[in-house]
Amino acid sequence: MSEFEKLKIVTKYELLKQFRRRRFYGALVLTLLAVILIIALYKGLDIPGKLSPLISDSPELFALFVTSAGATIPIFAAVFFAGDSIASEFEHKTGYILFPNPVKRSTFVVGKYIACLTVTSLIVIFAYVTTVIALVGIYQQLPIEVFGSLALALVYANSVLGIAFLYSSALKGSMGATIATLLTIMLVFSVIEVSLIFANIDPWFMHGYAGDSIASVYGVPFAAAFGGGMPGGMEARNPDPTTSFFVMLGYFIVPFILSIWLTKRREML
Amino acid sequence: MRESIVIEGLSRYYNGFLALDNLSLKVRKNEDVALLGPNGAGKTTALKILCGLLRPSSGTAYINGVNVMEERERAISMVGTMLETPEFYPFLTPVETLSYLGRLRGMSGQGLKSRIEEVIKLVRLEEWAKVKIGKFSRGMKQRLALAQAFLHDPPILILDEPALGLDPRGMMEVREILKKAKKEKTVFLASHLITEVVQVCDKVALIDHGHLLVYDSIPRLKRKYRTSLEGVYLKLTEAAI
Repeated sequence: MSEFEKLKIVTKYELLKQFRRRRFYGALVLTLLAVILIIALYKGLDIPGKLSPLISDSPELFALFVTSAGATIPIFAAVFFAGDSIASEFEHKTGYILFPNPVKRSTFVVGKYIACLTVTSLIVIFAYVTTVIALVGIYQQLPIEVFGSLALALVYANSVLGIAFLYSSALKGSMGATIATLLTIMLVFSVIEVSLIFANIDPWFMHGYAGDSIASVYGVPFAAAFGGGMPGGMEARNPDPTTSFFVMLGYFIVPFILSIWLTKRREML
Repeated sequence: MRESIVIEGLSRYYNGFLALDNLSLKVRKNEDVALLGPNGAGKTTALKILCGLLRPSSGTAYINGVNVMEERERAISMVGTMLETPEFYPFLTPVETLSYLGRLRGMSGQGLKSRIEEVIKLVRLEEWAKVKIGKFSRGMKQRLALAQAFLHDPPILILDEPALGLDPRGMMEVREILKKAKKEKTVFLASHLITEVVQVCDKVALIDHGHLLVYDSIPRLKRKYRTSLEGVYLKLTEAAI
C-alpha cells in the first residue's frame, strides 16, 4: 500500500475523530453567537454614524466590520483543533497504539493537518456564510470582496494551524501547546508588530499585519474608518493582499515543516 | 530466517541514567521468550526500541532480519504490539478503532470485517464492540489492545505486561489466548508475573538494571539453580542488587 493510500486512511479517521468531538459543534455555536453579537453591536450602536463623515454605511463597511471584528475566529478555531493534534498522542499515550504501525510519522502529521484544516475551514466558512446571509438580508447586496476576504481568512487560519502544529509537536502537553500558540499570536507577534510600527518600520512581514488583509480587501480606507486616536503609523495599516497571502503562507510552511521534523524525532518516553 | 528477533548490544541512557546496558539476545522463530525483571529493569525500554518508539544510545535490533532503526515501517509490519497501559481515542468504538488500524496495515473489505469480529470475540468484547471507548475500564482497554495486536495475524507478538489491569478471570483468559498463539507465533513479552511467564513462555531473559543476567529455557534454569523460576528470579536479582 502506498503512503498516499495510508494518508487517505489517516485523514479519514482523523476527520471522524474531529466530527465526534463536542468541541466542533461547540465552535459552530460560538461562531454563530459571535457573528450575531457583532452584527447586533454594529447596528445597535450605529457604528457607521460614529465614524468619520467621509465614511458612510455600506455593505463593504458592514462586511469589513463583521469579518475584522471576528478575525479571532480563525485563530481560535485553528488552535482548538490543532493544539492537541500531536501532543495528545504522547500525553494520552494513544501513540502506543498508533505509531507501531507501518506508517511514516510524517504521514500521520499531514493526515492530522488535513483533518484540522478541514474542520477549521468549515468554522471560518460558517462565519462568512452567516455574514453573507446578514448582508443580503440587510443590504440586499453582496460585495464580491467578501470572497477575497474569505480566501485570506482561510490562509490566515492555515498559518495559525502551522504554528499550533509546531507547538503541539514540541511541547509535552496539549494545553501547553494551545496556550503557547495563543500567546505567540495574540501577544508576542502583536507586541513586535506594534513596536515595529512605533519605530516606523513597515511590518508587512508580521503575522497579524498580514492577517489584516482579511479586512483591507474591502477597499474601505482604514485611516478614515478606524484611524482616530491610534498611535503614529497605525493609520497607515493597509496590507497588500497578495504580499500578505505569501507572508501567511510562510507562517504556515516553516512551522509545519519543523513540526514534521520534530514529530519524526520525538520518542514515546 | 531462523531468528525472529535479534538484539545486538542495545544500550539506552535517559539523561545520564543507564536504563539498558549492552543487551544482546536472539529469539528464534516460534520461540516464546519472556523478558523478566523487576520494575525499572529496562524491559519496557527494550520493547520500545524494538517497536521503533525509542532510539537506542548504541546497538541495533532486527525483526525478521530487517533493521528496526533503518527500516522501521518494514520491520514493524511483521509485528503485533501492545505496549505500556494502552489508550485509545475515546470518541471511537472498538470496531472503528480496529478498522482504522487494520486499514493502516493494508487490510480491507470483508476480510477486515471478519477479522475484526474474530479478534473481538477472541478478547470477549462482543457486547462492547460498538460502544465508544471513552466508557471503557482499564481492563477492557487492555483486551482491546490485545485484539489490535492480533488483528493482522502477525508472525511476531511483542507484548508489555499483557495481563496488567485485568481481573483474575481476564488474566487467565489472556494466558489462554497467548498459549494458543505461541503454537504458531513468536511471542516476546515483558513481565514481572512469574505465573504468566511459566505458563506462556519457553525461555526467559532475566534482566536487572538494564543488564542481562541470564537467558535460557525455563527447565534448564530450574535444573541449573535447583529451584523454581521464582527462586531463580529472587536469587539472581538479589545478587544484582
